[in-house]
Amino acid sequence: MAQDYTEWLAINVLNDQQLVNYRSLSRALKVHSNLAKQMLFDFHRKQNAKKPGTVHATYLITGTKRKAIPTPITNDTQSQEDGEDAVMQSSPVLPSSSAAKPEEEDAKSTLVQTVMLVKEEHLEKAQVTFESITGMHIYSLQANGLGDIQALTECNRKIAVDYASEDPLEIWKQYGTIQNPNVKRRTQRRQPPPPTLAPAKDAAPKAKLVSTTSKPAALKKEGSKDSQDSKPASKPTSAKATPEPSKKPPMNKRQGSDIFKSFAKGKTKAQAAQESQESAVSTPKAALEDEQMGGFSDEDETDEVEAAVVEDSTVVNGKSKKDREAELQAMMEQEDEVMEDAAGNSPEIAEPDADEGAIDKPDSQAADEPNETVQVENGRRRGRRRVMRKKTVKDEDGYLVTKEEAAWESFSEDEPAPKKIKVPPTTSMNKPAAAAAGKKSAKPGQGNIMSFFGKK
Amino acid sequence: MAISDGDSELLQAPSDDKNEILNRTASTYTPLDSYALQKGQYSHQYASLYFVRLAQLKPAVEAIASEAWANFTIGSETATRKDRVLDVRQGELCWVAGTVYMEMPLKPNVLEDIGKEHWIAAPPSRHKYDEGTNALAENGERGAHAGGQKGLVGTQIMLEDESGRLRLTGDYLNGGLLVTGAIVAVVGTENSDGDFEVLDLRVPDLPRQPQRWETEDGDAALAGKRTTKKRGKAGKVAIVSGLGISGVEGDTLALDLLMEYLLGESTDSASQDQAADISRLIIAGNSLANASPIPSRSELAAAHSTTKKGGRKTYGYDSSAYNSAPTDRLDQWLAQLLPSIPITLLPGDQDPTSTALPQQPIHAAMFPHSRAYMSPPSAPEAEGPGWFHTTTNPSEFSVDGWRFHGTGGQPVDDVYKYLPDCEERLEMMEAMLRWRLMAPTAPDTLWCRPVEGEDGFVLKECPHVYFVGNQPKFETNVVEGPVGQEVRIISVPAFKESGEVIVLDLETLVPEVVKFEVFDEG
Repeated sequence: MAQDYTEWLAINVLNDQQLVNYRSLSRALKVHSNLAKQMLFDFHRKQNAKKPGTVHATYLITGTKRKAIPTPITNDTQSQEDGEDAVMQSSPVLPSSSAAKPEEEDAKSTLVQTVMLVKEEHLEKAQVTFESITGMHIYSLQANGLGDIQALTECNRKIAVDYASEDPLEIWKQYGTIQNPNVKRRTQRRQPPPPTLAPAKDAAPKAKLVSTTSKPAALKKEGSKDSQDSKPASKPTSAKATPEPSKKPPMNKRQGSDIFKSFAKGKTKAQAAQESQESAVSTPKAALEDEQMGGFSDEDETDEVEAAVVEDSTVVNGKSKKDREAELQAMMEQEDEVMEDAAGNSPEIAEPDADEGAIDKPDSQAADEPNETVQVENGRRRGRRRVMRKKTVKDEDGYLVTKEEAAWESFSEDEPAPKKIKVPPTTSMNKPAAAAAGKKSAKPGQGNIMSFFGKK
Repeated sequence: MAISDGDSELLQAPSDDKNEILNRTASTYTPLDSYALQKGQYSHQYASLYFVRLAQLKPAVEAIASEAWANFTIGSETATRKDRVLDVRQGELCWVAGTVYMEMPLKPNVLEDIGKEHWIAAPPSRHKYDEGTNALAENGERGAHAGGQKGLVGTQIMLEDESGRLRLTGDYLNGGLLVTGAIVAVVGTENSDGDFEVLDLRVPDLPRQPQRWETEDGDAALAGKRTTKKRGKAGKVAIVSGLGISGVEGDTLALDLLMEYLLGESTDSASQDQAADISRLIIAGNSLANASPIPSRSELAAAHSTTKKGGRKTYGYDSSAYNSAPTDRLDQWLAQLLPSIPITLLPGDQDPTSTALPQQPIHAAMFPHSRAYMSPPSAPEAEGPGWFHTTTNPSEFSVDGWRFHGTGGQPVDDVYKYLPDCEERLEMMEAMLRWRLMAPTAPDTLWCRPVEGEDGFVLKECPHVYFVGNQPKFETNVVEGPVGQEVRIISVPAFKESGEVIVLDLETLVPEVVKFEVFDEG
């Protein structure tokens, strides 16, 4: 263990010339923060013994400083205060007590507990300003001198990004964070998926409860079969086409918790979509979409989120494909209306349409591609297939451009052939919708409604 | 300067000492939804707010006044009580209760604004609505004014109720703090000018203060059940305000230091033990800088002047101008703290929520990461508040049995503008408690919502702790009431400027300051 940290610090501080604070060290080596501080000190001392000036440190000093606080009631305005006090209160207690205080407070000034960050070259000067020091430790190390001390925020920011996948309630204990046994957190939100399925099981009964109260229409049957596999099928639709195949293995691992999570949330979202048919539905979608995607950023998905949450609502634990498709149909009809209203939402909505269409399409295309593999097991078709995906990007002028591109995905059905009748309607619906969306988005750039009113 | 032994503990080679995992003290928390609003709040007239307030507080102030002035005699005359303000008669010694209204020369006046809009540039924002005698003395001027010699220049103070208005004069008024909207009772007589000369003044004073734990155990006690619930030793609560996250500036290191301190990762083990005792964090307003939905006057002027798209006015909301960095930063910061400590978040005047008081809680949509710790809106009430509780401004809640009442600072800042020579924020806070009004100047100069039926800002029960955020500096005092109430008032400074966090011990209700700073070489 002793060697690990020396090595790690040598690499990061000396070779890579990075800023390392005790928190990044503790997270990298999975040790308690206090131990990390000691490690920093040791490394700093040894390196500077070998070659002075190679490693610079910043220190965190905790102590008390003397601060002269101006008394709330000064002697000059004493008379005014007395007058006010006589007016303001009905009992004579206050003026005497507050009049007594100024005399005491003038004499002493208060001690303020202070936590101060200081570079090593200013350490002595800083220590002098303290009345008494209760503790001191090394905060960070860097190879060259630290130009702007504010650059240290970079360390914490990197920690937040690099270790975002860790569940704070489980992992942070080893870092020495103060634990709180009463913390309440909702498991249905996007979180880094826990390594075991145990939390997923907890979420399952909760999800079941939610399902019984949610919307009546399309979510009926609860035969939990193949939504599992179709979940990864629909999940990759939300990301860019290229990283998708690589994501399949990690995706399959975390299916259990993903499904329940999105199930519970997807229900409410679908309900919202059903209930409000105005463009207002785009805002809850967008908000949830952000958080949805944020959660899966752990899985290294890209930031640019195109997928709507609506598609998740279609992937519900225990729904048979038929119900899902019936629901899809209903939702797609709704989405078409929504799309007319808000051009900005069109990319989001066009994609689920495309995706639902894509899910339906594959079997019709399954036979076409030579590279596709289809296996039939127990009446279940499984394999990889090629689908056309629609991707909408914003180019430099702010226009939304929709492109179709091919992508691979894995699929599995529990019925031999999905309805082929669905396929043409979906594709035909896509095209005019996408065309309208494209047109709408192009329009604001060309013509402004204000142009009607001339110069003003 | 002494360096104690604890200093060397972390300045040594890694030892094999077991580093203990600390557990945070639990926090019992019961929020009260005194300021939560129902829908359809703008359908009433604002004027009714004054009448409602008077109706609520008149009994209290009249009780105090009649007790005080029962035998108030001058010469052979005893003061008599008058029901209505216009009932006073010349030469007769009497007392009456009503609402104070102050006519001030520099107060924003909407009619003047409209009249001047087209040909005068926007006036500079005023710090005080009345220059005060100090300013005049500097200019070498002196003038007769109705408000008295000291403090008020050009201001007229009036007493108002449903029947009418009565102008007040007299030297007595100079000694007191008065703002529009305060309910007072005055004794005196009408002079030949038709003005009422004030000889003495009374305010409603502090209302009844509940016992500690009354919020939690009150219902059970009333029902006759025994409240034998054992309460552990209460910890401390940290109050901070004015984080001022703007997403642009590079001085957020103090925020990181604060976060590490609260998490118990930084500092030595003695301070870590102290930090573990902090059971809750209260953020009292202005977590974001300049995120208010209404652009300030300077922003509007800037938007007007720069030619945008051929000088055309852009209508509606320009979504490309949205910068999500500040809220992201705040959300990340909160999400790193939440696993360890529960947080109560009050909005301030710079935060992205309604600008009219009472400000509603900042919406969960602003916090994608921290949202996991909030209770969902559909959750049943019985579940209790979320771990991360966004609340209204002003806000009332009970922490470990003590009743806390706090605001983000707007009411006190507004009262400050009314008092030309008074710089004492604590005095104003005390006055607001004694008037029993959380926002006395609403709706006159402070934005608020019109209500019918009851003024939400009237203080019904005296809090144990009254804190106000975003004040210039940290100050604290204890206000005592007529029947033994004691209120700890705390003015919390803005963290962005001062780096100070107030830690209040919940057993003794004594606050102390913890300051975070970065050594400045200069």
